[in-house]
Amino acid sequence: MITLSDIGAAALGGGELRAGGTDLMSRPAAGPHIDLRGLPELSGVTWLPDGSVRIGALTTIAALAADERIAAAHPCLALAAAALATPQIRSVATVGGNLLQRNRCAYFRNPAFSCFQSGGNGCPARAGHTLRAAVVDSGPCVAPHPSSLAVALLGCEATAEVDGTAPFPVGELYGDGSDPTRDHLLPPGAVLLAVTLPPPQEGERAAHHRTAGRALAEWPLVEAAARLVVADGRVTFARVSVGGVARVPLRLTEVEDALLAGEPLERAAELAATRCAPSGQNAYKVALLTGTVLEVLERAWAPAG
Amino acid sequence: MKIVVNGVRTELDTGPDEPMVDVLRDELGLTGTKAVCRTGVCGACTVMVEGEPRLSCLMPAAAAEEQEVTTVEGLDHPVQRAFAAHDGLQCGYCTPGLVVEAAAFVDGWRAGHGDVAPPRETIAAAMAGHLCRCGAYEGIQAAIAAACRGEHDGDAVTPARVEAMDKVTGRARYTTDVRLDGQLEGVIIRATRAHARVTSVRAAAAHVVDLLPSDRVVRYAGQPIAAVAAPTRREALAIAAGAEIGYEPLPAALDDAPDAPDVYGEDERKKAPNHSEGPTMSAPWNGNVRGPFNRMSKRGRTAAQRVEAARAAGDPGLVAGTFTTAVQVHTPLEPHACVARWDEDGALHLHMSTQAIEMVAAQAAKRWGLPADKVRVVAEHVGGGFGAKAGVTAETVAAVELARACGVPVRVVLGRDEELTTAGNRPGTRTEIALLTDGEGNLSALTVDVHARGGVAVGSGVAVMARLMYGRAPRRLRDYDVVTNEPPAAPFRGPGAPPLLWALEQTVDETAHRRGEDPIALRRRWDGNPKRQALYEVAAALPAWTGRPATGSQTGRLRRGVGVAAANWMYMLDPGTEVELTVEGGVVVARTATQDIGTGVRTVIASVVAAELDLPAERVRVEIGRTGVVHGPGALGSRSTASVAPAARDAARRLRQAGLTEGTRVVGKRRRDRRGYVTPFAVGGMAIGRGFSGAVHVTEVEVDTRLGTVRPLRVWAGIAAGHIYAEGPARGQCEGGVVQGLGYALYEERHVDPVTGVVLTANLDDYQIPGIADCPEIDVHFHQEGWDHVNGQGVGLGEVSTIGVAASVGNAVYNATGWRPRDLPIRPDRLIEGMYGR
Repeated sequence: MITLSDIGAAALGGGELRAGGTDLMSRPAAGPHIDLRGLPELSGVTWLPDGSVRIGALTTIAALAADERIAAAHPCLALAAAALATPQIRSVATVGGNLLQRNRCAYFRNPAFSCFQSGGNGCPARAGHTLRAAVVDSGPCVAPHPSSLAVALLGCEATAEVDGTAPFPVGELYGDGSDPTRDHLLPPGAVLLAVTLPPPQEGERAAHHRTAGRALAEWPLVEAAARLVVADGRVTFARVSVGGVARVPLRLTEVEDALLAGEPLERAAELAATRCAPSGQNAYKVALLTGTVLEVLERAWAPAG
Repeated sequence: MKIVVNGVRTELDTGPDEPMVDVLRDELGLTGTKAVCRTGVCGACTVMVEGEPRLSCLMPAAAAEEQEVTTVEGLDHPVQRAFAAHDGLQCGYCTPGLVVEAAAFVDGWRAGHGDVAPPRETIAAAMAGHLCRCGAYEGIQAAIAAACRGEHDGDAVTPARVEAMDKVTGRARYTTDVRLDGQLEGVIIRATRAHARVTSVRAAAAHVVDLLPSDRVVRYAGQPIAAVAAPTRREALAIAAGAEIGYEPLPAALDDAPDAPDVYGEDERKKAPNHSEGPTMSAPWNGNVRGPFNRMSKRGRTAAQRVEAARAAGDPGLVAGTFTTAVQVHTPLEPHACVARWDEDGALHLHMSTQAIEMVAAQAAKRWGLPADKVRVVAEHVGGGFGAKAGVTAETVAAVELARACGVPVRVVLGRDEELTTAGNRPGTRTEIALLTDGEGNLSALTVDVHARGGVAVGSGVAVMARLMYGRAPRRLRDYDVVTNEPPAAPFRGPGAPPLLWALEQTVDETAHRRGEDPIALRRRWDGNPKRQALYEVAAALPAWTGRPATGSQTGRLRRGVGVAAANWMYMLDPGTEVELTVEGGVVVARTATQDIGTGVRTVIASVVAAELDLPAERVRVEIGRTGVVHGPGALGSRSTASVAPAARDAARRLRQAGLTEGTRVVGKRRRDRRGYVTPFAVGGMAIGRGFSGAVHVTEVEVDTRLGTVRPLRVWAGIAAGHIYAEGPARGQCEGGVVQGLGYALYEERHVDPVTGVVLTANLDDYQIPGIADCPEIDVHFHQEGWDHVNGQGVGLGEVSTIGVAASVGNAVYNATGWRPRDLPIRPDRLIEGMYGR
């Protein structure tokens, strides 16, 4: 049986780690695949005495979506898991793989192009087709971050546990998006073991929505997650995070602050537009962003059923 | 490693990263499992691993060590019979993956809910990881619901199409499944530049077959340069990737700007490939613009003068606008594929994924200088074509030349990226249209100017289609090609018509709206086609139509709208078609040199013969997909059924007269229609018959004005194509026409990098075709009268059933929102920018 330290060593030698393999197997290999299957450190969902939950990196998306206790405590995460990709992808893809997958930029994935992500020195997408490009300009690369779980986990204030380091906030996996060469900041050989979600807020209500052209099975143009606690018609706790619009998943504290200040949902959602700097064909993403944020705020405010 | 496949313990020697699908297909010969997208999007490769459906393209075989794998060949499940009975398939290429996943879903559903049908949305969510390009989603829904109700637990079913059981069990063999002794795998080396002269080609292979034109110039990124072969595809791809190509760059035209560099020099223009299904019509060139082709105008000058005068006078009867359409890619799930073998006698044997075996055989004989009887073509099952598989294309040239050079059979199968990049498309268009109505509300003049971008190919015929609609008022119809350094277009299901109808049917709708007239009522006044009149009558009484909202009356977030569009298509046939019947072992065997690309032509022949001879289905067998027998039609121009069915009936009558004794052989002919044909003789196996097929689509949508999405809810498809020979496949094809039309309306769009000319939508994530959850409820209504002059009283419907769908969506969006979409596809960004100006 391969061990965690074997894997770290192998990855330092230039391979790519494979969890579910749904991303890795669908693009040209950048080296040998190093299989993580069966590593005990990365498996299992564990509820801790303080009410937090540790989710092993190899937990599949389907298991996450089907876990009733997670759905009850962290509906935002369960909803994001249930809505992504397709049933078969969900049954194989993992939490760790979803967080650390490569982006979907058509330029990055096409061998005809060289870009920051593939070892080159430029971003052909900026001068090219920009319909899906990031509308929050945080660095030279304009590929939106692809992870739906990252959006939810950011809103859940989860921490990431990497072999050999102290747990740190999930957002630090990605930084500010200014490094155009990669989709996460973990060094080669580092293995993401688990994410841990702190206990939910009392009475919290949550929503997640992905906006896309087709009904199902499509990468979102924009997605958003919201967690609200509403007491006597006022928002007393708010977490709002979004994806599809920036190089990294974003938490929108300006929207949260507006909600806490008692602004109406529409007004708060409009604030999501303040960071946007559209260019080329992606101006519509500003409206989709505010629309999608409003969508999750309304649903979290008054959950269906 | 050890693995148990379909109950058999198997020892495998496989690399750690080798995908399961390749191991199953290439090492174990289990070719029922299909490799289509290779990125986990389409589900065609689904197998069971330990009872769970798994994408075998994304799973290393090594991950299944010591596990039980069940492929479609090892599946024995009621849902397979349900797919056959409810026609949950057409070409059948997606079917193996679908039935494997459906089997798991049905078992799980019945265990949890009992024998009841799941809601439509539940089935759609469960099957969301499968794509069916033929658009058989209505049949798939019905099949899964029936299996969940426990309706197919027994043994026998009556399949809706005769080959269905072969397709649901993985027995059906496609070209990509063919493996001959000693066969090598060929790969095409393609240009990485949009425009360049190739100065050198170096590749590490014993035989490098040249695929460049005589001037050594590549005119689009992806153009074939050379081909190489190796024992495995992986090795061949590695050789191709390592090839060194010397280029002398030439400036590329990647847009329609007037100052774009020339794609063709003056003396090279005649080399431009033709993407129409007819002969190349002559037209003047001006730089990269070819045209106008305007010979289908009728009193064109009068039309233009009336429109100009109306414009100058601000005549409210003039409705004018500009409409655009995106490039649509055929996307058959079986890619272009050919296995070529030269035998000792110098004869050429081709297994090909083609929709025209005889045409291909003739072209191959000409190209390689062979007598006609020295070329044999086999296309037993074909995984979709939609117009793009009608000739000797690059993969065939590569396979034939490599087979000759290497002295062994060679298979060339296009990768999904090649299929989506270079294997054909429907051109993008820009249409300027002006339609003038006189004081009495009659059509007074029509002008249509269409610029079509077919890449390096020419032959657009969009405006000409306006000659077929709405009477005899003056009209000026001008078609232009704008050539660019982009991959060539190819004929695509109803060539020319969808972009014309997108513009024309919305302009007619706008005219009705401005007049305060019901859009169906206006069409009933203008449209002289009696068959379509019958469809309008039914459409006008549909609850969806009578209950539609007033345009622009809704203010909520979700707005419903209903739109109508009419379509007209020519009745074509191959008058030389014959069908041969032989009594063999007590079974009547029908043969003709045609092929079934998912249309159901096998079933048409079988049902005609069985009915005429009053035989049970098991005593009739249809053997098609091979040349060397009597002449049959290509699956082009909606001509198959109208050609083969009368010939099959004629043959059956002859056989009845001759008596069904063992060994008896008769040949039936496709007898002439009463009053003959419009064309005096057949050209290229095609004659145009008298009369037009018609369609009326009534589409209901829900527009989400917050998030910019358009959801099709219901489509009523009225089809006037005369007698329906085989109900199941005809219905399926009309439903599929709706699904493809919705794809054209809402999702499908090829993107090309504006700097390099490289196609960006080279996978099925980025080139977006409709999935099962996008498929609305579809109600197909056949009007079967009006074709008494036609032998057999029925004509084709493959094209007329799809060409008007997008326009009906446009009109429905307008009805819902008061905003008229003018550009296809109707993406969220366009809806939002159109409605809110941002």
